[in-house]
Amino acid sequence: MITLRRRLALRYAAIVLVCLVLLVGLAHHEFVVEPAEKKRLGIPDVHELSEWAEISEVVIYAMIPVVLGFGWWMMRKTLAPITALAQSLEQIDAENLHEPLPRSQNGDEVDRLTEVFNALSTRLHSSFQQIREFTLHASHELKTPLTVMRAQLDMLLLDAKLSPEQRTWAQGQVDEVQRLAGIVDSLTLLAKATAGLVTIQRTPVRFDEIVRECYEDTLILAEPADIYVTLNTCEPVMVSGDRDRLRQLLLNLADNAVKYNQPQGTVRMALRHCGNFAELEITNTGLGIPSAVQERIFERFVRGTKAVEGCGLGLAIAKWIVQAHGGTIELATDASKLTTARVRMPLNDGSEHEQKFTRA
Amino acid sequence: MRVLVVEDDRKTASFLAKALKSDGFVTTVLHNGDEALQAIREGAFDAVVLDIMLEGRDGLSVVRKLRELSNKTPVLLLSARGEVNERVEGLNAGADDYLPKPFALAEVIARVRALLRRGSEVKPTVLRVANLSLDSDTRKAQRGDRTIELTAREFRLLELLMRSAGRICSRMAILEGVWDYHFDPGSNIVDVYIRKLRNKIDDGSDLKLLHTVRGVGYMIKESE
Repeated sequence: MITLRRRLALRYAAIVLVCLVLLVGLAHHEFVVEPAEKKRLGIPDVHELSEWAEISEVVIYAMIPVVLGFGWWMMRKTLAPITALAQSLEQIDAENLHEPLPRSQNGDEVDRLTEVFNALSTRLHSSFQQIREFTLHASHELKTPLTVMRAQLDMLLLDAKLSPEQRTWAQGQVDEVQRLAGIVDSLTLLAKATAGLVTIQRTPVRFDEIVRECYEDTLILAEPADIYVTLNTCEPVMVSGDRDRLRQLLLNLADNAVKYNQPQGTVRMALRHCGNFAELEITNTGLGIPSAVQERIFERFVRGTKAVEGCGLGLAIAKWIVQAHGGTIELATDASKLTTARVRMPLNDGSEHEQKFTRA
Repeated sequence: MRVLVVEDDRKTASFLAKALKSDGFVTTVLHNGDEALQAIREGAFDAVVLDIMLEGRDGLSVVRKLRELSNKTPVLLLSARGEVNERVEGLNAGADDYLPKPFALAEVIARVRALLRRGSEVKPTVLRVANLSLDSDTRKAQRGDRTIELTAREFRLLELLMRSAGRICSRMAILEGVWDYHFDPGSNIVDVYIRKLRNKIDDGSDLKLLHTVRGVGYMIKESE
């Protein structure tokens, strides 16, 4: 890569060289060509001048490395504040955004640049602060009325005089309040995740164990609709991740595979070790994802069909969990109406991998 | 039994107090964290229901200060956020239990009762409710003279329900106790497992033991 310093130094060197060549040419003409001409014409020669010319030519050549070296040093000194600025900028994250970068106060271009950066990060900091405040308070503000509604319904349901029909309505309200609370939780989680406020605790985790556990839960979830669930391949793989979040991810995908299925359908699960990745596939029968929403299936509130109960936030959360682990996720329906969710997670690094496996 | 309710939202506080009162508790209501800390240190409360968001000192800081002062009054923490981190943070601060909003009043009462029982309970190895028994050593269940085969999850579920026989186990408590999930997985997995367990223990018997408490959870009890 050509750094700014190298580029400046090269241009500087080119200019110096051109000047030197001109200078040498001029000197050559003045002290060598012209005396020779004078000699030919019989004009008396001045010997001392010619000797001086030779000495000055040598000095000029010797000056070249000195001048170039000096130039290199000068560039470095001039550009040092920019390098320092870059280093300070590298230290910035959401946490210390409000700390201003040190300024030289000498009013040069770099100082001006630092000022602009400081103004920019102040604005960013206040936006971050607003998002943070919003996500912290939104949940509280929304949950408080829900808590009151729930409490009132609970009190109402204690009333023995309620007719069976009224009781059913009140119970339906309880379910809706809980559903709304679930949506508030999911939305707050997503808002926080987007703002970078959720930390994922990563430790070495046996991914195959989580998959096996999820498979057992899926068997039970699938039983009422008579759906056949298989886990043919489950290779031992170790990933670095947050156990709770990974379990949430798997249950979410498996639950979808059952919910968006057909009676007597199938769910096929497989976990493979592929190079540097753990690849999980969950394939299910059913109607599949309509092509109209395929592109946006991971977006909030986008759902394949409204016929199945859900709020359309599960896949957005799934995608966040996968990305927070440095993995990728795809979900698509093929020509034979099979829908496959494919998750690729980077493996935990080799040493940990070995260690845990010998112990297990 | 005296319970202190500390909650900044007036309506929620009054409903909590009303529900606890109807269950035989003597309740005091406060809205401010600093006042609450003072009251707990001075008054002899048997348990505290404490919201995190408060006027003055917040709930987490109240618990932390209490434990610092070696005050061991059991604390049930309430929070509007319901996140894994917050739950862990609350328990680390010294709270004894944590409940996300919105909650069922029945669940608050069940958890307060559980806090008061804590420590004084002996854990028998063989649990019995009517003619249903569960041996937690051999992991075998028996209904009358019929032996019931249970999977590992079903065993943990039945054990949880039988250990709190006669009391409600909320969906949340079941998710925590059986699956170790500290978040709502947004799946009806608990209900599906309960259905399966119900088939195994109640099918073929006139006396149904496993009951659904709509909107809250499940419980095992002898009578209707």
